[in-house]
Amino acid sequence: MTAFDANWSLMTPEIVLAALALLVFTIDFMTGIHGKKPFIGRLSVLSLLVTAVLVVVTNSTSGSIAEVFVVDPFAMVFKLIILIGVAMVILISMNFLDRERNAEVYQGEYYSIMLFAALGAMIMVSSADLITLFIGLEILSISSYVLAGFKKYSRPSTEAAIKYVVLGGTASAFILYGMSFLYGLTGSTSLLEIGQAVPMLFEEYTFVVMMSFLFMLAGFGFKISIVPFHMWAPDVYEGAPTPVTAFLSVVSKLAGFGIILRVFFLGFGGVFQEWAFIIAVIAAITMIAGNFIALTQTNVKRLMAYSGIAQAGYLLVPVATVIGDVGINMIVFYSVAYLMMTLGAFAVITLVTEDTGTSDLSSFAGLYQRAPYLAIAMTVFLVSLAGLPLTAGFIGKAYIFFGAVAGEMLWLAIIMIVTSVISFFYYFGFIKQMFMTDPRPNDKELAVSGSMQTVVTVSLAVTVILGILPGLVLDIFNTFNWMAFF
Amino acid sequence: MIQNAWLIPVFPLIAFLILLFFGRFLKEKASYVGIAALALSFIVSVLVLFERIGGETYKFVIEWITFGESAITMGYEVTALNAMMLIVVTLVSLVVHIFSREYMHDDNRIHVFYSYLGLFSFSMLGLVLAPNVLQLFIFWELVGLCSFLLVGFWYFKPEAAAAAKKAFLTTRIGDVGLLLGLVILFNQTGSFDYGVIYAAVENGLINDTLITATALLIFLGAVGKSAQFPLHVWLPDAMEGPTPVSALIHAATMVAAGVYLVGVMYPLFLASSTAMTVVAYTGAITAFFAATMALVMTDIKRVLAYSTISQLGFMILALGTAGYVAGLFHLMTHAFFKALLFLGAGSVIFAVHHRQDIRDMGGLWSKMKITSVTFLIGALAIAGVFPLAGFWSKEEILASALLNGDGFLFAIALITAFMTAFYMFRLFFKTFTGEYRGGDHDDPHADDPQVDAYGAADVAEADNPRDDSMDKEAHVPPAEDHDHHHSPEENSGFMTLPLIVLASLAVVAGLVNLPFMGHPLEGFLTEGLNLGAQPHGALWLAILSLVVAGSGIALAWAMYYKGAIAEDFFAKKAPGVHNLLLNKYYLDEIYTAVFVRPTVAIGRFFWEMDKSIVDGIVNLIGRSTSSTGRSFGRRHNGQLQTYGLVSILGGIVVIALAFVLRGYFG
Repeated sequence: MTAFDANWSLMTPEIVLAALALLVFTIDFMTGIHGKKPFIGRLSVLSLLVTAVLVVVTNSTSGSIAEVFVVDPFAMVFKLIILIGVAMVILISMNFLDRERNAEVYQGEYYSIMLFAALGAMIMVSSADLITLFIGLEILSISSYVLAGFKKYSRPSTEAAIKYVVLGGTASAFILYGMSFLYGLTGSTSLLEIGQAVPMLFEEYTFVVMMSFLFMLAGFGFKISIVPFHMWAPDVYEGAPTPVTAFLSVVSKLAGFGIILRVFFLGFGGVFQEWAFIIAVIAAITMIAGNFIALTQTNVKRLMAYSGIAQAGYLLVPVATVIGDVGINMIVFYSVAYLMMTLGAFAVITLVTEDTGTSDLSSFAGLYQRAPYLAIAMTVFLVSLAGLPLTAGFIGKAYIFFGAVAGEMLWLAIIMIVTSVISFFYYFGFIKQMFMTDPRPNDKELAVSGSMQTVVTVSLAVTVILGILPGLVLDIFNTFNWMAFF
Repeated sequence: MIQNAWLIPVFPLIAFLILLFFGRFLKEKASYVGIAALALSFIVSVLVLFERIGGETYKFVIEWITFGESAITMGYEVTALNAMMLIVVTLVSLVVHIFSREYMHDDNRIHVFYSYLGLFSFSMLGLVLAPNVLQLFIFWELVGLCSFLLVGFWYFKPEAAAAAKKAFLTTRIGDVGLLLGLVILFNQTGSFDYGVIYAAVENGLINDTLITATALLIFLGAVGKSAQFPLHVWLPDAMEGPTPVSALIHAATMVAAGVYLVGVMYPLFLASSTAMTVVAYTGAITAFFAATMALVMTDIKRVLAYSTISQLGFMILALGTAGYVAGLFHLMTHAFFKALLFLGAGSVIFAVHHRQDIRDMGGLWSKMKITSVTFLIGALAIAGVFPLAGFWSKEEILASALLNGDGFLFAIALITAFMTAFYMFRLFFKTFTGEYRGGDHDDPHADDPQVDAYGAADVAEADNPRDDSMDKEAHVPPAEDHDHHHSPEENSGFMTLPLIVLASLAVVAGLVNLPFMGHPLEGFLTEGLNLGAQPHGALWLAILSLVVAGSGIALAWAMYYKGAIAEDFFAKKAPGVHNLLLNKYYLDEIYTAVFVRPTVAIGRFFWEMDKSIVDGIVNLIGRSTSSTGRSFGRRHNGQLQTYGLVSILGGIVVIALAFVLRGYFG
């Protein structure tokens, strides 16, 4: 089969998004490099939504391009998560970039690089081949490095970018090294072929197979910020522009889970029993360290970084306990919940920290009096992150919890629920500031722009609706043969 | 009507939604929305109860979600037990709604208050109607949230904010157990349905260890919610909430949810004698210790709070000694007389301008006739005086402890009953008899706005000057600026009518389970359940319990009315014990030292690891390589190489550990 026989139409969304990203770039050139460009922001959101529609349409013909680039329900759902996530991040950015103190950012470039990041993530979750996967990963990563340093006259931002690029490079090296073992053993970069060969190879080359697995785990672990590969996250999250922090903690992290599932379930699924325990231990350490350290934080962005580390730990639990479609159900559901509650929270955080000029927790003082709707919405997001009933976060966590108990890893389930209780303490810190503290003297009523209103309302609606009627999406997920192509 | 039982929680939900969106425009008219909703709920509950008495359990469920192969359902169910609970909850909630209209009248957030009450009533009724334990858990958390909102309703008082947080987080500890227990049950039986779980237990589908484990885990949830030792510490603090809230949530309904939980999961508990023993002893210990603390408290609400804990302990003790009906019967009678006592206390507090220290009260008998008489009825009922409601239910608990428990449990129950009578009448005599000590002239705190605003609070804290809250003066709750310089007088009908209703119930509620009428409640509750024979006491037991109650009352009378024994007689005799009780056995301090501080310390430890220990390793290893470091990173911030190195080291450690543990080298 030559490249020209392949069904290239499967790649329509990616091609369209690439073209639109270039279009955004071009329009930016034509309108001069400086100044506010809200229309480019709107165009970018539109591009993402068009792509999202195309993703759904394309999925009706699931298949692959030479078994390298696949279209299946798994790819579709993760692409939708990525596209909606990036669209919401851009809506948050539009408000962020409007502010005087962020005037240094070249808006057109910012938006188009955001689109390229989305493109990279889409390619990543659609790939069934180590090379394609790596290319997608690098498109995403390099875009992220640039985004982290977008406030180029701000020292924290540039520092964040440098740290991120150096450590991100290290992680990529880990991944490549791990991949090279697999290639050496199997002579193939196709996950399909690797997955077939691994169980047999494991008998003979245990050491090399596990080496490969662990190197990739370290590299991917960096992308999803699990302990002990998490150290970059608090610094980068704190230094990066807040909407970029939102992007890193949601889109980049969930895309990372996408490839972890692809590679581990497909490539190493045959030897699940061999590595499940390692993942379980790492999930436990991640939940413990993330939640405990978050207790000590007073900077909102650092706190969210540690909270995000803890959340990655929860998401890792099903990887260790339930292989196959049910495990993917759990991860995808929690990913949707995480996407909404975290982006909603970041929208409020962006508004509040930009308005008060500080990202200390005290910037939330008296938010209920300054903007009641935001305070209530934020409470719902926090309560959902903590896992209280009637929110999407509860259902997601309960589902994962059931899986851990059913998978006979009771100790992991106990760690999960106990650390969740600990998380209440720091999420309550926000609530106490918002409702039980008076606003600081100079803080006036908080103006909420239309784009922010959209993000907060959509996140709020989805968080609550999925908390009450999780069947709306779970019933659909149950019908999926996630990695149908295989 | 029984098919329409779903309406019962829906009315308060509608009230909540109306007040949420339009409350601002209704202001104090918000109370009518709440009252109307609860009145409707109550009427439907009565109709449902009558239909259930003549009929059968009704259950309606729809499929909610599918987890793997198990479908989880949501819906509602009317059993004998929850038909009774519906009446208790809607009735108490209704009278509290009526009472609050006057009590919260001057608060400009009264509509918010009523919206929370509506949300709470909805959640509590949802909890009661739940046909499976997952749905129960969801509402269980929701009532906890409402309790948080209502305890912290006067959040500008630092004590209220702290109490709200403490209440929520302490009960969460119990909830960990509950969630874990019910997930294990789900894992074993593939269902959260009560019926399926009962059947699985009866047919021996779950092994004995797991039955004991899940029963204990679920019981942990009850311990948190029903404020049993050692998780009871949140309930006295929760008294910082408005008094009607204390009556509704922290006396009659939510705190009884733990008892109810043990009730609905009873077949599981019966199947494990270990679990039953733990339940019985937890109840007995709680009943005893809480009663001892109630002996010395001087804040009217805190005495009642410890009394509530103690009475909940009684119910748990009954359930733990196979007295299923005794425990739930006491739940019902207690709901009425304790709500009565709390609302009576609210009426007093309102009349004496929001003071809560009984040392500042006295002589109210002649000034507040209705409040005094109804309070006396409540006190007699809880003390267990014939023929009031508490007599009948407490007597059954004593019988249960005697016949199915052991001598120790019975002795503890008797002593506690004695203390109950004593502290209740200490409270009664101090508050209603003698001279009024709260006049503006002789009250040393009269000019201190702090004491006025917050009530004199509990003794343990009264000794400390409340400097920490002085700057909050501006936030005196509006309700408390009530005509300051008048002597106390009886409140309006909105406050006295609920007292009269509850007092009547405190008199007659015991009749539903009269021994010489064949224990009608027992027949109703146990029908179709395989619980074995319910314990009943002989006549001598009833007489004994009367003697015990009578001597408690007599001692209080001698000390606080007659003055034959000095009030500080015992405090002087055993100052150490007195202090220990005043300081609540130092449990708060112990918990801070044992749990709170270490948790924070662990967090700091991990953080230090992240920051500095790792830095040290790098400095040790990485000094020689710092030439590259100097080129950029280290000059700005020494962390970058650290992180890189740690990531790599971390990777190596993980790899090495994995290999050693799993033996891949071989």
